[in-house]
Amino acid sequence: MTTSSQIENIMPTEKRKRSLERFQYKWGNQIMAFVFLIPAILVFATFAWYPIYQSIVMSFQDVSLTGQSTWVGWANYELMLKDPALEIAWINALQFAVWSLMLGFFVPVVLAVLVREMRVGQGFFRVVYFLPTVVPVAIAVIIWRFIYDPDAGYLNAFLDMVGIQGQNWLTNANLVKPSLVAVMTWSGFGTTALIYLASLQEVPGELYDAAELDGASPLQRIRNITIPHLLPIMSLMFILQVLAVVQVFTEPFLLTNGGPGRETLTPAMHIYNRAFIRFDFGYASAWSVMMIIVLVGFSIIYRIADNRLRNN
Amino acid sequence: MDRGFLSNTELRTPGGRIFYVTVTIILLIIAVVALFPFFFAFTSGLKGSTEIFTSGLNMFPATPQWENYTDSWEKFDMFRLFRNSIWIVTIAVILRLAVSAMAAYSFSMLNPIFGKYIISGFLLTLMVPGIAYFVPLYVTISDIPILHWNLLDTYWGLWLPYCVDAFSIFVLKTFFDNIPSEIIDSARVDGANSLQIFFRMVLPLSRSILIVLAVLAFVGIWKDFLLPLLVITDPARQPITVRLFYLAGDHGVNLQMAASFMALLPPLIIAVVLQRYMQLGVTVGGVKG
Repeated sequence: MTTSSQIENIMPTEKRKRSLERFQYKWGNQIMAFVFLIPAILVFATFAWYPIYQSIVMSFQDVSLTGQSTWVGWANYELMLKDPALEIAWINALQFAVWSLMLGFFVPVVLAVLVREMRVGQGFFRVVYFLPTVVPVAIAVIIWRFIYDPDAGYLNAFLDMVGIQGQNWLTNANLVKPSLVAVMTWSGFGTTALIYLASLQEVPGELYDAAELDGASPLQRIRNITIPHLLPIMSLMFILQVLAVVQVFTEPFLLTNGGPGRETLTPAMHIYNRAFIRFDFGYASAWSVMMIIVLVGFSIIYRIADNRLRNN
Repeated sequence: MDRGFLSNTELRTPGGRIFYVTVTIILLIIAVVALFPFFFAFTSGLKGSTEIFTSGLNMFPATPQWENYTDSWEKFDMFRLFRNSIWIVTIAVILRLAVSAMAAYSFSMLNPIFGKYIISGFLLTLMVPGIAYFVPLYVTISDIPILHWNLLDTYWGLWLPYCVDAFSIFVLKTFFDNIPSEIIDSARVDGANSLQIFFRMVLPLSRSILIVLAVLAFVGIWKDFLLPLLVITDPARQPITVRLFYLAGDHGVNLQMAASFMALLPPLIIAVVLQRYMQLGVTVGGVKG
C-alpha cells in the first residue's frame, strides 16, 4: 500500500527532473546538432528544394536565356494541352510500361524461386545476374546498337541460323519499343531478382517440411507458401518498375533519339528537347510539373489500393 | 537444414533429378544471356575493322587484334577519361557519405529542433522524380542563388548535386538508431563530446553500412549520364560515359567496342570484388519504398 503511493509521489518529480535534463541537454547541444545538419540542409535547399520550387514557378513564366523572366499565367499549360506531342509521349510511356511489365515483371520472380532451389552455385548466379546492373547505360547502348544492327548484328545472325527472317529492330515502329524494353530488362532484372531472393531466404524450411508432410505437391507449395510470401514485395516492385519506366530517358535518347518518327519519344525526352535544344525552359517546366503530378498521383493511388487490398 | 520448396529427398528421386538438371540448364542459359553483351564487346573489340561487319554468327575473331585495345586506349585518350571519372566519382562518394552521415548522426542522436520536419523535407525528394526538376537544377548550377556562382564546367557542379541523397541519410539514421544508447551514454559520461563520439564511436561502428552505401554510390555515379552531359561541356574534363558516347561516331566499331569494354571494367571489378556489400545494398534499397 504505502510503496505504491510512494512511487506515485516520486514518479512525477523523477519524470520532471529527467525531462528537464533532456531539455537542457537539448538546448545546450542545438548548435552542435545544426553544425552536423547544415551541410545537408544547404545542399538539399540548393539542389533539390529550390529547383523543385523553381520548376513550379518557371512553368508560369517565359524564361529567356538572358535571365529575364516574364509571368505568362497558364500559357505554358495551354500550349502543352495543344501540343500533339503530349498524347504521343504519354501513350509511349504507357506502352513502355506495359511492355516492361510483360517482358520483365515475372522473370525476376521465377529466377529467384529457381535460384533458391539450387543447392550449389547460388552465389555464382547472384553475381552473374547482377553484373548488367553496373553497366552505364551510355556504354550499354553502344554495345546493344551493334547487337541490334540489321546487317552485321548478332541478333539477326542468330535468327537467321534458326531460320527466322532478320528484322530492323530499332527502325521498325512495331519492334522498337520491345527492343528498348529488352535493354532495360537486361540491365534491371538481376537487381530485382536479388531482392526477391533475399525475401525468399526468410521463408523457414519448416513451413515447406510441414506442407510436404501434409501431402502438398511442389506446385501447391509454391502457390500457397512461396507466392504469398513474395506478394508484398512484388507489389512494391510493380510500382517501382512503372515509376522508373515512365521516367525513362537515357535508353530512348541514346539508342533511337525518339525515333522512328516519334515512336520512342517519352515525356522526359520531350522535357529535355524543349529545355536544352529549344531553350524553352518555361514550357519544359510545365511538362515537368505535369510529370510530378502524374507520378506522385500514381503512387498515392497505389498506396490507397495497396492498403485496401492488405486490409481485406 | 537448408531447403527450398523441394526437399533434398525429393531432389534425389528421378523426377527431382531431371527437374534439378533442367533448372540448372535454364539458369545457365540466362547467365549466358546476361553476360553476352560483355563477351560481345570484348570479342568485337578484337576483330578487324572490316571483319566486324561480316554478317553471321562469327563469335571469335579470325586473328585477335590485341592492338585494337592499345589503339583505342590512345585514340580515345582513355587514360584521361578514366582519370576524370575516377576523380569525379571518388570525391562525390566521399562528400555524399560525409554530408549524409553527419545529418543522420544529428537526427539520430542530437535531437535538432524541427528535426522531424527537416527529415520529411529530405525524404520528400525521394517522391519527386529527378527528371522533373532537372531543368531548374541546371539553371541553379549555372547560377547558384544568392552567391551567383556559375558551377558549369566545374566538378563542383557535379559533386554538390550528388550530395543530395535522402536514401543514404535514411539508411544511416536507421542504422545509428540501432546503436545501443548505453555505449553512447557511457562515452558521454566519460567526457566525450559530440564530435568525438561521432568520429571515434559512431563511424567505426558503422563501417559495414558505410561501405555498402559507398559501393552503391560509386556504381550509381559512375553510371550517370545526363547530369555530366549537361554540366561538363569541356571535352578534356568529361567523364568516360559522356565522352565515349560523343566519340563513338568518330572511330571504327571495333575500336568503340574495345573502348566500351575497358570502360565497363571498373564498375564490373567493384561489383565482383565487393559483391557481398553490393548485394546487401541492393536488398537495403529494395526495402526503401
